[in-house]
Amino acid sequence: MFAATPLGAMTESGRNCRKTDVGVLYRTHRGVLCLMSGCALNEKEFFSCCQLLLQQSEHLRDGWSWEAVQGSEEGYLRKTVLRSVLADCYDAQKQTETASDSVSPVSAHPIQELQQQERTQPVVATCFHSDGIIGDDGDEDDAVCVLSEGSSHVLQYEYHILYSCSYSAPVLYFRAFTLEGRSLTLEDVWSSVHPNFRHCLQNSPLTAITQQEHPLLGQPFFMLHPCRTEEFMRPVLQEAQEQPRPVNYVLLWLSVVGPVVGLDVPLKYCTQLHLSSLQHSASDLMSSTVETGVRRFARKTCK
Amino acid sequence: IMADDKDVLRDVWFGRIPTCFTLNQDEVTEREAEAYYLLLPRVSYLTLVTDKVKKHFLKVMRTEDVEEMWFEYEGTPLKWHYPIGVLFDLHASNSVLPWSITVHFKNFPDRDLLHCPSSSVIEAHFMSSIKEADALKHKSQVVNDMQKKDHKQLWMGLQNDKFDQFWAMNRKLMEYPTEEGGFRYIPFRIYQAMSDRPFIQKLFRPVSPEGNAYTLGDLLKEMYPAAITNDGEQKRYQVVIHGIEPLLETPLQWLSEHLSHPDNFLHICVVPTPSD
Repeated sequence: MFAATPLGAMTESGRNCRKTDVGVLYRTHRGVLCLMSGCALNEKEFFSCCQLLLQQSEHLRDGWSWEAVQGSEEGYLRKTVLRSVLADCYDAQKQTETASDSVSPVSAHPIQELQQQERTQPVVATCFHSDGIIGDDGDEDDAVCVLSEGSSHVLQYEYHILYSCSYSAPVLYFRAFTLEGRSLTLEDVWSSVHPNFRHCLQNSPLTAITQQEHPLLGQPFFMLHPCRTEEFMRPVLQEAQEQPRPVNYVLLWLSVVGPVVGLDVPLKYCTQLHLSSLQHSASDLMSSTVETGVRRFARKTCK
Repeated sequence: IMADDKDVLRDVWFGRIPTCFTLNQDEVTEREAEAYYLLLPRVSYLTLVTDKVKKHFLKVMRTEDVEEMWFEYEGTPLKWHYPIGVLFDLHASNSVLPWSITVHFKNFPDRDLLHCPSSSVIEAHFMSSIKEADALKHKSQVVNDMQKKDHKQLWMGLQNDKFDQFWAMNRKLMEYPTEEGGFRYIPFRIYQAMSDRPFIQKLFRPVSPEGNAYTLGDLLKEMYPAAITNDGEQKRYQVVIHGIEPLLETPLQWLSEHLSHPDNFLHICVVPTPSD
């Protein structure tokens, strides 16, 4: 069984869990997990989930850091990634090959990994649509692919995870620059979104990627709108609840929305949540919940 | 009392700021550009109401020298996505009228300003604020019960300066169950000119657990205590909403219903008291 004990058990476990108005908080030897009975996340829970994610990130060298606001508990998770973007020459074959590792269609490497890759093989060049705008589905086949040997288009993506008190949910903000410091436009960014999501998001402005002012930094960022988060998280959380299995809300949410904007969330994150004997079933749970979540997210945004 | 309250809604809606637009000296022109004067609606957005300004300056420029238009006041790029009245109160409230804004057509500061390629971007931003405000006030129930045409009516009311058209729909967003005594949370943002942080926005209820109405002073004490002057101290800051300083004893619920912007947010500016 898990190292965490459910509510109702006596003394020892009574010390290790706490009922909140949105669920039960478990304290395990690996940190705090949250068994959600509702689908809203309050700010304290957001903070706890982030700290747990941070611990795992450090262990996996996944590059996340916590940026605090003037020494308070308020703050956000941050990660910078260097990417060589294969925008429209997306290989369907490659997708099925890498599906078991992650849901991301483009490669995103923390800085160290990319440098390593550069040493062993030439960096993959960039493909952009000739006009930078994504039109109908049929365009994928007609995409102009300019593969220039020896030249690489490396972009710096910066991802922030903030808390929205209005929607009681985490929100993903991001921006991207060329190495020369040119900001990527919304059109550039669209070309890095997985084709399946691109079509769905375009029809639904409120779940689309829009340019917004970062609420703590005041600078322009792109944002994935949070108003539908509760909708697509609910079934995913309910499934986990029926087991019952404690989940890290922020990690679960990130594994659903991250891939939409090319942010990789390695499955290794969830295997750390459980004792080694349960590694296999934990991966199954994560991949099935991620798949369900992704499918539901795509369906909901296509309304 | 009802009649007075409605007057407040009208005064807020029809508030104007006399503005003088001057072309940036470094722009390349074929002949001298004259300044352009305009009365700006406090409750609207710069990029929504400055088509005439653009047309005026385009007359003296070549198309190849024209990129996305942006505005600046005394070196500060002006955020078009903030209501005009907020920009004025925050940056120029204690300066002489007309408000002098510099117009640029080059070197768009994309690290400071959001792009505004079309009015549909302004509409999306406006509707997004309304939805967020309703998420706070009513858990999104009222705005989600509205139809698409109702949302459109709110936007068209703002765009075309139609008070009645706007409020016919907006009044639904101002209702609340009588037994609650107010909204679930008050949608507000507190702006401070001299701060890295663009604004403060947090959860705040209009009514205490005992049923007492919270005031503007209560909100500030919780969110920005430095704005409150203690007894015996000299007043360091002015707390400005729509160009006026409401009494700190004013109930927050009343302020939210009557002094919110069309985006349903109470935008509060904290500015240093001018030293004469």
